Amino acid sequence: MSRGFAIPEPATGTTPAMEAVGLVKRFGAIHAVDGIDLSLAPGRIYGVLGPNGSGKTTLIRLMTGLARATEGSVRVLGVPMPSRTLLARIGYMTQGDGTYAELSAWENLRFLAALYGVRDAAPLQRVLELVELADRRGTPALELSGGMRRRLSLACALVHDPAVIFLDEPTVGVDPALRVQFWAHFRRLADAGRTLIVSSHVMDEADRCDELVLLRAGRVLGRGTAAELRDRAGTPDLEGAFLRLGEPVP
Amino acid sequence: MNPWRVVALARRIVDQFLRDHRSLGLIFVAPLVIMALLGWVLRDSSAPSPRVAIVNLDVASAPSERVRGALTEAIRQAALPLVEVGADEPAADAALRASAVDVVILLPVGFGAGLADGDPPPLVIVTQGVRGTDDNAQVEVVLRQLAGALPLPPGTASILRRSVFGPPFIAGPPDALASFAPALIGYFGFFFVFILTAISFLRERVGGTLERLLATPIRRAEIVAGYSLGFAIFTTIQVVLILAFSLSGWSTPDGWDGPRVAIGLGIPSAGSPLLAFLVVLLFALGSVNLGIFLSTFARTELQILQFIPLVIVPQGLLGGVFWSIESLPAALQPVARVMPLTYAVEGLREVMVRGADLASRTLQLDLAFLAGTAVLFVVLAGATIRREVV
Repeated sequence: MSRGFAIPEPATGTTPAMEAVGLVKRFGAIHAVDGIDLSLAPGRIYGVLGPNGSGKTTLIRLMTGLARATEGSVRVLGVPMPSRTLLARIGYMTQGDGTYAELSAWENLRFLAALYGVRDAAPLQRVLELVELADRRGTPALELSGGMRRRLSLACALVHDPAVIFLDEPTVGVDPALRVQFWAHFRRLADAGRTLIVSSHVMDEADRCDELVLLRAGRVLGRGTAAELRDRAGTPDLEGAFLRLGEPVP
Repeated sequence: MNPWRVVALARRIVDQFLRDHRSLGLIFVAPLVIMALLGWVLRDSSAPSPRVAIVNLDVASAPSERVRGALTEAIRQAALPLVEVGADEPAADAALRASAVDVVILLPVGFGAGLADGDPPPLVIVTQGVRGTDDNAQVEVVLRQLAGALPLPPGTASILRRSVFGPPFIAGPPDALASFAPALIGYFGFFFVFILTAISFLRERVGGTLERLLATPIRRAEIVAGYSLGFAIFTTIQVVLILAFSLSGWSTPDGWDGPRVAIGLGIPSAGSPLLAFLVVLLFALGSVNLGIFLSTFARTELQILQFIPLVIVPQGLLGGVFWSIESLPAALQPVARVMPLTYAVEGLREVMVRGADLASRTLQLDLAFLAGTAVLFVVLAGATIRREVV
């Protein structure tokens, strides 16, 4: 892979993949993110879970540098965000498809890859095969099904082999068989030292994550593995744990 | 600035357009079709043959009666239909209202006495007043027949000697398109490119692709440059096509047995096509970035179309396409003077009609203004692409 600019060295050793301190984001009177302290070690899969409007997407936008914190700070790979140069080490799959309808799957990938300085065809072919779209490389995104466009969007986020990958609702519209493959690949990426931060409101995917961060109203309700959160709440499932942990302390 | 990213973005825009055949048609074919239609209408419309009535209200005057006779003879000589509508103004008015006549020439009371004094009141020419363009054309036909027909004193000559044709800077026969074409070329250089850029960038904003784009290392300046480059490619082709179609012309030779076919308008141009190209290109580059900037204020493609009456039509009305800036009401002239289309139209007329080159102060001003607004719109467009990273 070739790049056209200097990139900060990826975090090594004990440097967190992501660290938020007193993070606040307000839109007028709305506190979308309301005082989050978080430190995520590299090489793991983190699930950011919460209902719609809980602040998941805003938190991801703060971490990717697309939004600026009202208060507090966020560092990715030890670099304060926002930082334009660090964006080359970040992969971001947006909640929407984020693909160009008139362009073919290959053209979409080629464009995103070029922006990251990737000019070889091999990484493009690799991610297309990963999302099982190699036989549709010439098909315009407009003619792909909703699930295929999500897969193409994921391929676009992975094409430059990023160190930290933010996936906003990545499996919406993806059929169960392919969802299993997605998670298997996420696991391989984590094993190779990549950090994945996956937002979802689907609790049944939580067990696939190494660690969960439960969000409600812009605050962290709890953090831990799925089993730890269930034990702490004393409930058999995560939905129950989410409700229990959200109750006010007597 | 990383040129690879700029080229990648420009290439993406080219790829998108090449797959969108309708937009290609809009940007390349539509201007030529409209130019061809206008050329056809302006050049080949049949000359009107208005029905004319002459009413002498100054009945007691022998000189007036002689003038009436001379006018009548001139109309007959021109083979225009002469209509009797009565001897007074109400009768003439009724005939016009009933559409029994197209043009009435009134010799006012006191005309004969005025002739004797050398200061006659002007002849009054009345039309139906329903279609202004038709009325003007009919009056022109009548005046052309009357001009020179009468040895009239100076007071009446002023209304009879009106020249219709003839930019004196262009050799050859007069051409109704010659003075109008530069305005049209300028207008098309703006209209289609503005609409397409605005919609294209709106899609980028609302479709989630801008969010993804901004999460890559691309800089705002590179986005603006990539868009400008991508659209400049199409704009350049569009301008070359319009200029080639307008300025060159081929038709089946005389004596050809088959149907007469003409391709291109063959409009005479006094100046350099390259300079005309430069004027339109600068204008179009500004329009691309105006489109990016204004797309911020729209949420849907329908809202982009709402910019047509707000941005495009006022420039078309005030920018010198139909009326000169000097003839506009005083309050509107400063407005016209800040509109880019004004300078594009003026610059194109300077080049194509007056044959101006870069030594012309007017053309220098036009080019400077267009370049200045292009830079301004580039800055404004860049400012609307928000990412909170440097």
